[in-house]
Amino acid sequence: MFGKKTVRKSAVLAMALVAIASTGVATAQTAEEEVTPPSYSRKGADTCFQCHDDQATLAVFKTRHAVPQDPNSPFGHGQLQCEACHGPGGDHAGRVRRGQERPPIPAFASNSTTQIQDQNEYCIECHLGDTSFAWHGSSHDDNTVACSDCHTLHVERDPVLATSTQADVCFDCHQQQRTQSMKPYAHPIRQDKMECTSCHNPHGGRPENSLGRMTANGTCYECHAEFRGPFLWEHAPVPEDCNNCHNPHGSNLPGMLSMRAPMLCQSCHSQAGHPSLPQDERGLPENNPSDLLLGQTCMNCHDQVHGSNHPSGSKLMR
Amino acid sequence: MFKRTLRSRRILVAPLVLLAPALSYAQVDTSDWACESCPFDQEYRAEIEGGATYVSDDAVRFGNFTGYDEKGTYPLINGQGRYSGDKYLVDYTLEDIGLDSQAFDLSVGAPGKFELNLGYRELPFRRFGTTSTIFDRPASDSLALPSGWVPVSTTAEMESQLPSSLRPQNIGTDRQVIDLGANWNAGDKYLLFADFRRQTKDGIDISSAGSYTQASFLPRVIDHETDQVDAGVHYNTANASFTVAYYGSFFTNNNSSLTWETPFLAQPGATSLRMAAEPDNEFSQVSLSGQYRMKTWDTVFAFLVASGRGKQNQALLPYTINPDIDAGALPRSNLDGKVDTANYSFTLASRPSDKTRLQFFYRYDERDNGTPIDQWSRVVVDSFPSGEPEPNLAYSFEREDVGLSGEYAFSRKLKVSAGYDRKRLDRNYQEVVEQLTDRGWGQVRWRPVQWLDIRAKGGAEQRGHDGYDETLGSVLGQNPLMRKYNLAYRYREFGELTASIMPLESPVSLSATVLFADDEYEESLIGLNGSEEMRGTVDLSWAISDGASLYVLYGHDRIDAHQTGSQQFDWWDWSAFHEDRFDHFGFGMTWRPADGRFNLGFSLDRAEGNTGISLDSLSGGPSTLPDLESTLDTARIEASYDFTDRWSGTFDLRYERFEMTDWALVSQTTLPLVLTSGAQPYDYDVYAVGIGIRYRFGDDAISLAD
Repeated sequence: MFGKKTVRKSAVLAMALVAIASTGVATAQTAEEEVTPPSYSRKGADTCFQCHDDQATLAVFKTRHAVPQDPNSPFGHGQLQCEACHGPGGDHAGRVRRGQERPPIPAFASNSTTQIQDQNEYCIECHLGDTSFAWHGSSHDDNTVACSDCHTLHVERDPVLATSTQADVCFDCHQQQRTQSMKPYAHPIRQDKMECTSCHNPHGGRPENSLGRMTANGTCYECHAEFRGPFLWEHAPVPEDCNNCHNPHGSNLPGMLSMRAPMLCQSCHSQAGHPSLPQDERGLPENNPSDLLLGQTCMNCHDQVHGSNHPSGSKLMR
Repeated sequence: MFKRTLRSRRILVAPLVLLAPALSYAQVDTSDWACESCPFDQEYRAEIEGGATYVSDDAVRFGNFTGYDEKGTYPLINGQGRYSGDKYLVDYTLEDIGLDSQAFDLSVGAPGKFELNLGYRELPFRRFGTTSTIFDRPASDSLALPSGWVPVSTTAEMESQLPSSLRPQNIGTDRQVIDLGANWNAGDKYLLFADFRRQTKDGIDISSAGSYTQASFLPRVIDHETDQVDAGVHYNTANASFTVAYYGSFFTNNNSSLTWETPFLAQPGATSLRMAAEPDNEFSQVSLSGQYRMKTWDTVFAFLVASGRGKQNQALLPYTINPDIDAGALPRSNLDGKVDTANYSFTLASRPSDKTRLQFFYRYDERDNGTPIDQWSRVVVDSFPSGEPEPNLAYSFEREDVGLSGEYAFSRKLKVSAGYDRKRLDRNYQEVVEQLTDRGWGQVRWRPVQWLDIRAKGGAEQRGHDGYDETLGSVLGQNPLMRKYNLAYRYREFGELTASIMPLESPVSLSATVLFADDEYEESLIGLNGSEEMRGTVDLSWAISDGASLYVLYGHDRIDAHQTGSQQFDWWDWSAFHEDRFDHFGFGMTWRPADGRFNLGFSLDRAEGNTGISLDSLSGGPSTLPDLESTLDTARIEASYDFTDRWSGTFDLRYERFEMTDWALVSQTTLPLVLTSGAQPYDYDVYAVGIGIRYRFGDDAISLAD
């Protein structure tokens, strides 16, 4: 029973351990490198605007990054202006010989050669608290997503911060979730009335799926607090994980269920009597309509599947 | 509600910028950085759109979440604006004002000092528009039969009474969310923040309940209110940040029960029945989180510690309202329900070198249900005592997750990563007490050339347990061979392949993803035996010119599952095979001619869903249930034309066609013993056309200062 699977599993685990071990070896081989302090431009933004004076660039002045009365915004007094985000621009703005390629600005340019993690540090340096506590090691960080992959800074309103446009930004990468959002039973992402960040924290939420609250259920209770309980009679899988029965990204089935009832219920309930009966075409309207198959199926009677607070509700019927 | 997370983030983003100075500015001589050419924003700039939208037909599902559920004319009001003064910044947005889905947000602040936010949002949930009921509603927590109703034994016997008794009853609810937030920058290192949200939900939902053999669909009044609070303090230093926070959620149900008169013949005393509604509850949590950055190996240590308590102390209903049954006294008048939660996280992320990344994490969640356990003497559906007192079970669990992963870049073109994690889940009162899940994975990212990025990830997971206690289920009448799918042994293999082709000089880009997961429940003789999931997507985009672009996309989702059951309460004697399919095709384009006055956007989507179930049983032989099918076609054209720098005309045409089949939706009299609401499958064809005028305040163009 375990043989073949165990071998495969062992291979995967071995691969993981070898890779992890190899990183340690590599680490030991890495030597301290001398770092030359980067040079900044001579006059800050005034230097940059000698070339970059197009509307797309200047639109940064419609944003909160360019508020001079805010002492710590990039354009606050004494701050590093454009180079606060794009990095030291001394080399980029300096003289180049004829035919020589101009060095790229360190961060957030299409030809930047700086590692994504290092580019992101320009943002995190100021937004350290905003990304606390879990950016480092989050799935976005692991997959070397740049802050600018999601955020558009040189526009008055960043699309990823608006309800009606956020999902389109996320779906650039999360294409499978876009497909699911089009399913007939889904949260109102398609209608532009809900954001991905209503549930997820893209800067690194706590559980494995970067959710906004401590647990999956805690996230669901933000909008569905009526199911939090504790109920007198609990349905055991409910407080454990809503995802036991629901597909929150969308489903072909009413209630965003992961399987059609009554078969979903029969995946756990096989008591003698009606729970164990096969619900097939014999129960369809044209044959012998079955109240175990049609309508709300099991929930025709056991409606309180999220829990009951009725003293006689142990079977979730009250 | 839905805007909360975003708003909280907005609340946090701007002020936190204030807290942490930009990169090492103190080390750079900026005395000559006068920013003389910087065109700082010092004006009011806004755009307001006004007009009307005409909806061609009644279509409840089209109005679901949008508010366009009835034929007619609706206001078209949208807008946004911003004022930047010497001291204050004001920002607002208006969205779908006048509709059931309207929203607005307003923020006022002094950059670097404080910010206040006010938000309001409505969200309509429209479930059915074809439903009807015989019940009158004398109060929000009771349903009465129409006068003259004669109780009968079956729905067939109701046929003579139904035509005169049924009245239309749409099923749906409306949410309203008010959001008030504030933050205050208290010095260089502290930020105080608070956010309060009140969410109300009202309308009609369907419940179903009845006597021992008969049931009725009940149009239940929903009248919920949830208050939520987030408040706390951030403390930032150059290499660390800490947050102490409080989260509170307080749910109130203005109906604690639903009492209804049964339309079926009932035992004396059981003509009126009662069910409990979701009880009031509250949850409070305090947390401390933070991160500390060390120079050694560019390491970040992050942690979170949280402790919470949930309470539920709603006054309990009596065992029954049947006056003919003496069920005795309740063991307690209020539940005194109490759940303590604990959540801990520790993460260590490190970059020992440019080529190497390491990560370790540990997570712990606990739900400790301290609700008192008593013996309860159930009255079965208000009809007769069960005769066997039974205890309520206070389910608790502990979850631990620990993992290690690493990445090594062999070159800029090739990165390899791998990880391993182990989850432990301990429960009480269930067939499986301890569940252990081991998971290993590996990933290769290969960029052989600048324009091609390929990622391949694969792994395996084994979820085992310390034993499946069959006797526990047997006490409840469960077949001892049943293995509940969330408790059963499971072996999973999974893989994902992602490819992106983005030639730097080409206007065309292509990306594709494929994911599969194969689950096998090898020890489950009854229950879910296995499932297989496959998802795939392809996206193609083409920047035709500076002003024109188009995209084509396709997504496919497939889930197959196999389960077995036993009606003989023995070895399995029936099986079911589920096939769930979904396909989505999308096409869209934008066009903006060179003069910039005209904007056109067009999108087209088609989504097809299909769920089929085939069964095979000893009693009935092979059998196939009709497919659950749905087809959605949508098209949208959005256009605007700038008459002048300030005035524009807007045009928005939405078309939607949706049809589905669902054999579970049946008429009131289809089921002999269940009086349904008569909901019918969706089938509509509707368009909404909006025409508006947009006016702009302020200048859009920016020029460098002289």
